[in-house]
Amino acid sequence: MTRAGQHRRRALAALAAVTAGALTLTACGGGGDDGGGGGDGTVRILVLKHALTGPMSDMAWVDQIEEAAGVTIEWEEVSADWDQKKSTMLAAGDIPDLVVGTNAITNGDLATFNGLFEDLSDDLDALPNVTAMFEEVPATEAMATQPDGAIYSLPSYRRFWPETATRQFINQQWLDNLGLEQPTTWDELHDVLLAFKNEDANGNGDPNDEIPIDWSPAGDAGFGYFQPSVLLGSLGLPISDGGGAGYFVEDGVVKNFLVDERYREVVAFLHELYADGLVSQDVMTQDYSAYQSVARGDGDTARVGFTWGWAASDRVGAQLADQYAALPPLRANDSIAESDLTWSYDSYSLNYGVNSITMSAQSRNKEAALAVIDAFYDQDISIQVLWGDLDENITKLDDGSYEVLPPADETSDPSTWKWTTTLADNGPGWIRDDIDVVLPTDLAEAVEQSVPLEPAIANVDPTADIFPGALITMSQEDLSTISLNDTGIFGIAMQRWATWITEGGIENDWDAYVAELEGVGLTQNVEIHQRYYDEFVASQG
Amino acid sequence: MTALSPAPARSRPRTGAPVPAARPPRGHGLRRHVRRYWQLWAMAAPAIAFVALFAYVPMYGLQLAFREFDFAAGLSGGDWVGLTYFRQFFDSPQFWTLIRNTVVISVSTLVAGFLAPIALALVVNQVVGRRRKKFLQTATYLPHFISIVVIVGMLQVFLSPSSGLITRVAEMLGASGGNMLGASGFVPVYVLSEVWQHCGWNSIIYLAALASVDPQLYEAARIDGAGRFTIIRHIDLPALVPTMIVLLILNMGNVLNTGFEKIFLMQNPLNLGVSEVIATYVYKIGILSNQFSYGTAIGLFNTLINFTFLVVTNQIAKRVSSTSLW
Repeated sequence: MTRAGQHRRRALAALAAVTAGALTLTACGGGGDDGGGGGDGTVRILVLKHALTGPMSDMAWVDQIEEAAGVTIEWEEVSADWDQKKSTMLAAGDIPDLVVGTNAITNGDLATFNGLFEDLSDDLDALPNVTAMFEEVPATEAMATQPDGAIYSLPSYRRFWPETATRQFINQQWLDNLGLEQPTTWDELHDVLLAFKNEDANGNGDPNDEIPIDWSPAGDAGFGYFQPSVLLGSLGLPISDGGGAGYFVEDGVVKNFLVDERYREVVAFLHELYADGLVSQDVMTQDYSAYQSVARGDGDTARVGFTWGWAASDRVGAQLADQYAALPPLRANDSIAESDLTWSYDSYSLNYGVNSITMSAQSRNKEAALAVIDAFYDQDISIQVLWGDLDENITKLDDGSYEVLPPADETSDPSTWKWTTTLADNGPGWIRDDIDVVLPTDLAEAVEQSVPLEPAIANVDPTADIFPGALITMSQEDLSTISLNDTGIFGIAMQRWATWITEGGIENDWDAYVAELEGVGLTQNVEIHQRYYDEFVASQG
Repeated sequence: MTALSPAPARSRPRTGAPVPAARPPRGHGLRRHVRRYWQLWAMAAPAIAFVALFAYVPMYGLQLAFREFDFAAGLSGGDWVGLTYFRQFFDSPQFWTLIRNTVVISVSTLVAGFLAPIALALVVNQVVGRRRKKFLQTATYLPHFISIVVIVGMLQVFLSPSSGLITRVAEMLGASGGNMLGASGFVPVYVLSEVWQHCGWNSIIYLAALASVDPQLYEAARIDGAGRFTIIRHIDLPALVPTMIVLLILNMGNVLNTGFEKIFLMQNPLNLGVSEVIATYVYKIGILSNQFSYGTAIGLFNTLINFTFLVVTNQIAKRVSSTSLW
């Protein structure tokens, strides 16, 4: 329901459907290919929405776009099973003028369905807002540009998000109840968790209902937010997007942490915790909603001692949030200096939304579609797409400053409200760097709870320490190879991850496992990543 | 398990057997045949059209398995690559794992799912009293109507290692086993829940066969002093054999078609090593990763294996018991 939940859902997949529109062109639109068409310019847009989001017709900014572009928009609204619908829809070549939604069309799709999408690189004259965004925020241009210079899809930029999605929380009230200090190393964490388990930390009389540590379930296709992969930072290994497929960069060399000794140490540590009964027994088999609801408990008594999440009020519910403190990164042991610590760098996925709007090459109403794209990147419209309509959700104080209002529905929270009333993070748009915005409380909370992590995040250089996947686009052949190898790699790796933590055995299996992963294509994938990374570094000068 | 559902009439045309139209007598001309049987052909026409349109026409897409999918060139326009994708699959490190998992899951489901309904039908048939019999039958076939998503949700709730009802009961009985949602529990949990869900439904067809047994046979047997088990052994079972063989052959045609949805929903990182089967792999490769050609090739391989099993079982059944599909 929240931003964080949304993120996960997006990662898992979700949403869609479609038919293509045969459109008539207005005679005055200029460059019409059939003069006979009557009617106004109609632009068909497929929009990928969050399950909570209401109908597009309820959003006032839609009228502003129609007015600015001089068109009528026909929406096709999709909020479930997008991944499955998409494949068949694209293979049939049947898409509307525009597809809107963050990463609704992935780089892989752009490569596989070559020719289906309009190359916007020669239409930039008709997109002044987009051109300006490319100049002001050069990363957006890098994200949009394919290896051959074509631009099929445009990213969004929203600027105010923290640089990481995963924040670390410990139940301060439990610590105080038991007279303990906040842990700073893995050993101290282990001791604290043991105390949580053995004593009645939440003070409800039952010493056995505490779950010392819980985390978000890892899927079978890699790591994500709110997972213990952030503990790699305790050893100074830089990750991004919660770990993802495991690629990172060290001294100019691309590596994968799945076969790194430091990953082995993290897994061994997690097994120690699991063997002592400190980890939720459901951690490998529960789904995201179970992970969320367990920590919220009945609302009065906290169940979880130490965990990762988007923001305290999102993770454990508003009633329990005050019990939790945001915790700085832990050191693996005393040999690791505080200045070596790192944390997951997620700014590329949080502050940018890749491929948020894509145009069909078959569009018969090209000018109108381009005008709509450009309107999305207008200053006022961008902010409304993100947080909701002016006056209702946002007050415009003056030309360059805005205030996001609390939800008009008092029973709602700011995050849910945003997703209910507008496209929010799924929409295209460009939040200017020079405007002032009074942020909604949910975002302000996340930013505040990121503070303890900031030194560690600052330790990650987004161009030298992580693989800047968002800024690099690959060829179809390489994407196919990688995705094929990944299915094999993660089929093995995620199962071992789960088994090693719950049952142990990493010490004996490690060498065979590394050889096995390299055999199913990890070596090849790393080589491909290295090649693109070298090109990227060279292009940066 | 779908194969055990009482739908032989539906699966029959799909396996290629002609619609049961009357065969023309030998030596007569086409003209005479048409004049004589046109009503029958007219009746069969919709079914023939249906099968042709939805089973045979889409087969032209199979060429994708031998071509490199190229969106711009269309389904039949990609470069011909021959058996490249098949070789890729056979050489893939995943190959033997997939085959092993698929065979283990489908064979155990096939065996358990084949025997359980027969046993249930024999038991229900022995129950005295119409109302009791009806109650038992209804109670056993009701789970069939629960959706797969709900079944998997129930399994996850009941078997949760921390709070699951079944886990707790097992603990009280002293069986503090491992995680039943993990690797070791996957196959038993899958097979048992399949049997539990579909056993009652699949026994209906056997009950129908038993209902058609001539009561005189029972009476004669009793007069001859036969007990309950002797009657089952010598009257009920032989009466079921033709049905059993037809259903078995039809099931063999699906031997590698494991229940995709249920397995997919039950997958988690802990059991992936035993729960990744051909169907889920094709979904991940073909649909989610857009490897259409590779996915088609694996799917075709799967179908060919199934087809072989179907034909072989049919031939064996023909020789051994003279009951067969064709």
